[in-house]
Amino acid sequence: MTSSDDPERTAPPPEDALERELLALGAVLEVPAPPPDAVARAVRARLAAEDAPAVDAAPARPAAARRPRRWRRVAALVAAVTLALAGLTPQGQAAVARVLRFAGVQLDLGGPGPLPSGGPSGVPSPLPGERRTSLAEARRAVAFPFGVPAVLGEPPEVRIADHGRVVSLLWPGVRLDAYDGLLDVVWRKELGPPWPEDVTVGADPGRWIAGPHELIYLPRAGRGPVPLARRAAATLIWRHGGTGYRLEGPVDLTAARRIAGSVR
Amino acid sequence: MRAGWPVTTFVAQNHLRRPVQEPPTDDDEAISRSLAGDLAAYEVLVARYSAVAHRTAALLGAGDEAEDVVQEAFVKAFRHLAGFRRDAAFRPWLLRIVANETHTATRARGRRADLALRAGARAEPDGGPADPQDVAVATDRRTRLLAAIRALPDQEREAVVCRYLLQLSEAETAEVLGRPVGTVKSRTFRGLARLRKEVGDDLF
Repeated sequence: MTSSDDPERTAPPPEDALERELLALGAVLEVPAPPPDAVARAVRARLAAEDAPAVDAAPARPAAARRPRRWRRVAALVAAVTLALAGLTPQGQAAVARVLRFAGVQLDLGGPGPLPSGGPSGVPSPLPGERRTSLAEARRAVAFPFGVPAVLGEPPEVRIADHGRVVSLLWPGVRLDAYDGLLDVVWRKELGPPWPEDVTVGADPGRWIAGPHELIYLPRAGRGPVPLARRAAATLIWRHGGTGYRLEGPVDLTAARRIAGSVR
Repeated sequence: MRAGWPVTTFVAQNHLRRPVQEPPTDDDEAISRSLAGDLAAYEVLVARYSAVAHRTAALLGAGDEAEDVVQEAFVKAFRHLAGFRRDAAFRPWLLRIVANETHTATRARGRRADLALRAGARAEPDGGPADPQDVAVATDRRTRLLAAIRALPDQEREAVVCRYLLQLSEAETAEVLGRPVGTVKSRTFRGLARLRKEVGDDLF
């Protein structure tokens, strides 16, 4: 990790007179800029106001992929309006329009959308009986096979929860939950727009949920006193074999699919 | 069928009780904490890179929109932070987003990048020419040089601006402009040749 002190900046001045002159010009050019603290406050205020992870394109997105971006902007705007309305409407009044079950996840579409008071996304909240463990121990402790994304490498933190029902692999800012995706419904997601998008991860079907939403962990029947709910960021869910995965943290579909596609 | 579960029976709030932390001391820590949703840590990062971000936007032609471009770039950088390679340097990664936002802004404006700058108003960094006549000559020379830079073809101008006015290395320039190092070298070379033809090689 390089900080602002780049050794290359102290390189000796170039031999060429014009190059030296250009460097000197750069040094005396006036560029008006607001005070850094003011910029930082303004950026923070915008992020806090949006309080929603990205639904926007990656910086180096090819031109061919630009069109969906406009759609996502529209979707994001709709989501923002919905969020504002959800803050005014008692959540119980919002009718669930459609229920979709996929890979151990029940998607309740047309729900109230994200919790207005949700905390920062990507912060792991404990599941029942959640504890830290090692990757090798986790593989022994769970009944389903799961892989690790090669692009992220070995996770710095591994947790298993609810008697080996869920294993969570954590990297800074990224969370991958693996669970038995065949037997029962492990999660419920309350979604407003933008609606989940049908995608593929390699040859496996998946769903991309581009915006923040409420994530509810459903304990096994008879275990755990209450479902756990938290606000989740954009998430990619997919199933490989009998294993369900939910990947939270990558801010756009391209990044999420790159990670998901490298699960070995 | 579990649809009967109450929707918000329990909301895990452990993350809201996080203790107040000291400001992050280096980029890596600031980025880690930003990734975990710590906006105060990101604020430190924004303040640290605000000046160079404004300079980059302005010199790449954002004109009046430099402030908007920079804010937008920082907001986008925050959202894309998960995609930042942790073993890389933050500055060129951020400046690439600034450069892309600048392009978007100038394209939207539908005209040429606006390199409206004043030269020579700032004090000489190294004591430079003190004689008023020398100052006037130097200022005139710089004004001509700036005009020549402004007249360069876009690709050459961007390379020259990054390499000299922003004092970025070839590798950083390549990252910021999203081009291979070889391309940066050849565009810089062509740009320099054109400037030399335009303003001559004589020193003030």
